[in-house]
Amino acid sequence: MYYVAETKVDKCSTYKCNQCVLFCPEPNTLMFLKEKNFAYVNQARCKGCAICVYVCGDLLKRNCVEMVMATVSE
Amino acid sequence: MGLEYVRITTGFEDYMPKDYVDLVKYGQFGKDYDIQELGTFKELVEEHPMCAGCFMAYFIRVFYASLPKPEDTIVIGTAGCARLQLSQAAVPFIYGNYGDTNAVASGLKRALEIRFPDKVKDVVVVAGDGGLMDIGFGMTMHSWFRRERFTTIMVDNEVYGNTGGQESGMSPKGVQLKMAPKGKKFDKINAVELAKAAGCVYVARISPTNPKRLAKTIKRAIIAARHFGPTFIHAYTSCNIEYSIPTEKVLEDARNREKKDFTFYEWMSDDVKNYFEQIESNKEGQEVKV
Repeated sequence: MYYVAETKVDKCSTYKCNQCVLFCPEPNTLMFLKEKNFAYVNQARCKGCAICVYVCGDLLKRNCVEMVMATVSE
Repeated sequence: MGLEYVRITTGFEDYMPKDYVDLVKYGQFGKDYDIQELGTFKELVEEHPMCAGCFMAYFIRVFYASLPKPEDTIVIGTAGCARLQLSQAAVPFIYGNYGDTNAVASGLKRALEIRFPDKVKDVVVVAGDGGLMDIGFGMTMHSWFRRERFTTIMVDNEVYGNTGGQESGMSPKGVQLKMAPKGKKFDKINAVELAKAAGCVYVARISPTNPKRLAKTIKRAIIAARHFGPTFIHAYTSCNIEYSIPTEKVLEDARNREKKDFTFYEWMSDDVKNYFEQIESNKEGQEVKV
């Protein structure tokens, strides 16, 4: 049981922004899909530091990333 | 290494590990990605075992993403947190004994110049404040005195993070740490001025709050080292464990420190300045022969 980041894809794709991707300390984790213009999280690799939440929420006031409890898929 | 060694032999694509195929197909080898495109290509570091929210990990991620020629680069590190991630990248990594990174790099750079006279091989030292300014101080300074042509990057977390939080020469004055309960009695070493005095041709002090500027600084330091002499970057990479910074506040802390004692500072000799003006006026960004 641990927290991982999740992007709100619909809201995220309305902004032309990849700032959270640029500040993630984990490589190949927070990825950006150029064609559809949104960021998404590779949740198996996310360590749950929430820097992306700070960038998107506190700095940019866009609130497109949130922390969710990871669920184990059977 | 070299670009010809990275490519997969025709017919073997199906048998190579998926990660490696991705690295060759969508990775940085032979391509010039801008740092703003991070997240759209396969990065050189696959994964790393560093703590959640570690800003040293972030710095090293940007460092690898902004290497001008990853296939012709060799990274040297030493004991400390940085080596945990440096050794996970698809770039040759040499692990020096504690403190001898710059001595190893000097020999390596000279050997590479003899072995590959028609090619430029970049040698980059990435080590912590303990490796470069405390234990490796003598060898670091002497490599600069000798004008060895490689880049030294100090990832300064202001503490011996790996061994439980002893104070280092770079810890700020008065700070109390787990293994230094009385508080530090003297000031932080001014590494940037030391590097300038010792003969570095390009010196920068940076807090990783702006990825574009960070990438530009790293690129400049590596390119200046190819032609002119030693270069040095002093980067603030906080230790959120030993300094008890909540992970989501790590970037805020870096921004606060940038306002105080880690303001962006860049100094270069006149030769280097002229050279960069020449490159930047050249529209294609091609390197100019000196």
